Amino acid sequence: MSQRITRPQIPLSEMTITPGSACQGCGAALAARLAFKALGPNVIRHTVPCCPDSVTMNPRAGSVFEGGGAMLTGTARGLKAIGRTDVKAVGFFGDGGTYDIGFQGLSGAAERNENIFIITKDNEAYMNTGNQRSSATPKYAITSTTPVGVKSRGKETQKKNIPFIFAAHYVPYVATASVGFPEDLIAKVNYAKDIEGFRMLIIQSPCPVGWRFDPAKTIEIARAGVQTGIWPLLEIENGKDFKLNYKPKELKPVTEYLKPQARFRHMTDTEINDIQEFTTNRWESLLKSDENKQIII
Amino acid sequence: MSYEVMVGNKAAATAVKLARVQVASAFPITPQTTITQYLSEMYANGEWDFDFVNVEGELSSQVVVQAASRVGARTFTCTSGPGLLYMHHPMQQTGTNRLPVVMAVVHRNYRGMQPDHSDLMSQQWTGWGHQYVEHAQEVLDSLLMAYKVAEDPRVRIPIAVGYDGYVLSYTAEPVDIPDQAEVDEWLPPYKPIPSILPDEVDPSTFARGWGEGDPQMPWKIHHEAVLKIEDVLKETMDSFEKTFGRRYGNGMIQEYMMEDIDCAIVAMGTIAGTCKAAVEKMQSEGKRVGLIKLRSFIPFPYNDFKRLAKNLDAIAVVDRSICPGKGGPVFGKLRDVLYDMEERPKILQFHAGLGGKEVRTHDFEMIGDKVLSAAKGGKEEQVTWV
Repeated sequence: MSQRITRPQIPLSEMTITPGSACQGCGAALAARLAFKALGPNVIRHTVPCCPDSVTMNPRAGSVFEGGGAMLTGTARGLKAIGRTDVKAVGFFGDGGTYDIGFQGLSGAAERNENIFIITKDNEAYMNTGNQRSSATPKYAITSTTPVGVKSRGKETQKKNIPFIFAAHYVPYVATASVGFPEDLIAKVNYAKDIEGFRMLIIQSPCPVGWRFDPAKTIEIARAGVQTGIWPLLEIENGKDFKLNYKPKELKPVTEYLKPQARFRHMTDTEINDIQEFTTNRWESLLKSDENKQIII
Repeated sequence: MSYEVMVGNKAAATAVKLARVQVASAFPITPQTTITQYLSEMYANGEWDFDFVNVEGELSSQVVVQAASRVGARTFTCTSGPGLLYMHHPMQQTGTNRLPVVMAVVHRNYRGMQPDHSDLMSQQWTGWGHQYVEHAQEVLDSLLMAYKVAEDPRVRIPIAVGYDGYVLSYTAEPVDIPDQAEVDEWLPPYKPIPSILPDEVDPSTFARGWGEGDPQMPWKIHHEAVLKIEDVLKETMDSFEKTFGRRYGNGMIQEYMMEDIDCAIVAMGTIAGTCKAAVEKMQSEGKRVGLIKLRSFIPFPYNDFKRLAKNLDAIAVVDRSICPGKGGPVFGKLRDVLYDMEERPKILQFHAGLGGKEVRTHDFEMIGDKVLSAAKGGKEEQVTWV
């Protein structure tokens, strides 16, 4: 498991391209900035279509949207073939490239335990094309393809539990992080970068444009996601060893996360209670797993 | 040099080994499957130092070799029919990124399991070099030559070598296996251009340049690079013959019994072999028909056809694939070549061997008779389904 670090231990060096192509308050650009500070320059970074995509000063090759897992597989195998295993094959994908169109290739790469590191900035919809729903979109959220109307209350189903799905491939390391908790995020990259085999870090990255909140509030929203238990920070090693990284004495009510975001503004009390119940139940089960230091998948 | 009786798929796997491929990746599909098995056995037995990635689908296999080639490994993949269609998207990237991947396409039509050329023909727009071969020896030799051509700095274009499923993939023939030492000397190790390694890369490539420069220019450069295959393939055929003592025409086409003839049949793949027997028989009967075996469909041998067509009264094109509503691809392309000639031979279209339908010697005799009749001014149908 990752070792806790303090803010002064966050590297000062930057890998991000400035000025970048990101919007004000972009959580994903911040995810890239933090993660690649810890990774440094000796990296080949592949990106599949996502938002924002040209983010760090690393050599990269474009790939087909559905090919992220295979692209990194080929890179890692090629590096091994030419004797350059010092260079790390890292993917910086969005939720579409991870949860949806890229899922098959990533699942294949995870099952083969390829020596690759996947970093997903999860902004919970296809933001690159203008906020269409993905399987990472939470229940009730409004997107441009799940608008609220007489026949619709936003997205109908829960967000796919991608960390657990990848942990169920029995890979060395799967973790979640949030741009609201930079020390935790960097500690996890530090730990994962030197593990041999398949590693995945899913970073919840609030999107002010798609989630519809004031761009100045990105960090507050991200922190609220974790503090309400909606986006728990966790680590799973080898599909069993489990740790919850952030355990407040008491969770904040989910309204603290939902209310500031216009994508949830239509929600009725019953719908909010539905989310509260789901979140509380899952939190209790995560606490039990944390106590046992093990999760049964 | 040593002879071994082997099926076409073993010949392909042997070429992969001789070329010292570093990363191979494939997903099994009939009739390509046994290549993946031969490669897995070679890997398991430690026969040579390479990585064989058993991926979860053809799309991933194409992406794996693309990425490995970008980093600097020599790569190989292989597939058939539907698998090739599934690769279509990443094949475009392999082409546009100018990565010298070599792929064996074991032909299978996509309405069934039997061979025709509709799989590879459907990939004409992916920016690859497309070759069609006739027998197991030619499979092995052509794959070796494909690396030499694809990796040539003047070309840097991926090449697909197609051969018919079953008829070739699962039929054993004696194959002359070149010496490893000779292959090593003839085919130097692969170096990627430009390097993508963090310590060698050009930092200006870090940011993506949206909308910079003329957006048409990359297409023009790509098109010209694919055309370069012609010269480089011809050179490579010469050097291959010098080293290994075998050649297949000039690489682009192979002429068979083309002296003192009035007409020619254009055929590809295994049925070109059948056509050879028919041409021999017809010429022994005094019928002046020869064979032009088309080896390279992309780039298309404009120059060779122009040279040959001057001395021909009529040409029969046997297409083993069809674009429904449009017709046979080779027929269309060849007619395009002939258009510029002041005096051009007649040209007839034959659809044969589609869906794996067998094409026999007497079918080619029928084709020969029709083309001879057309040459003498006979009224023959322009399109015939054999």
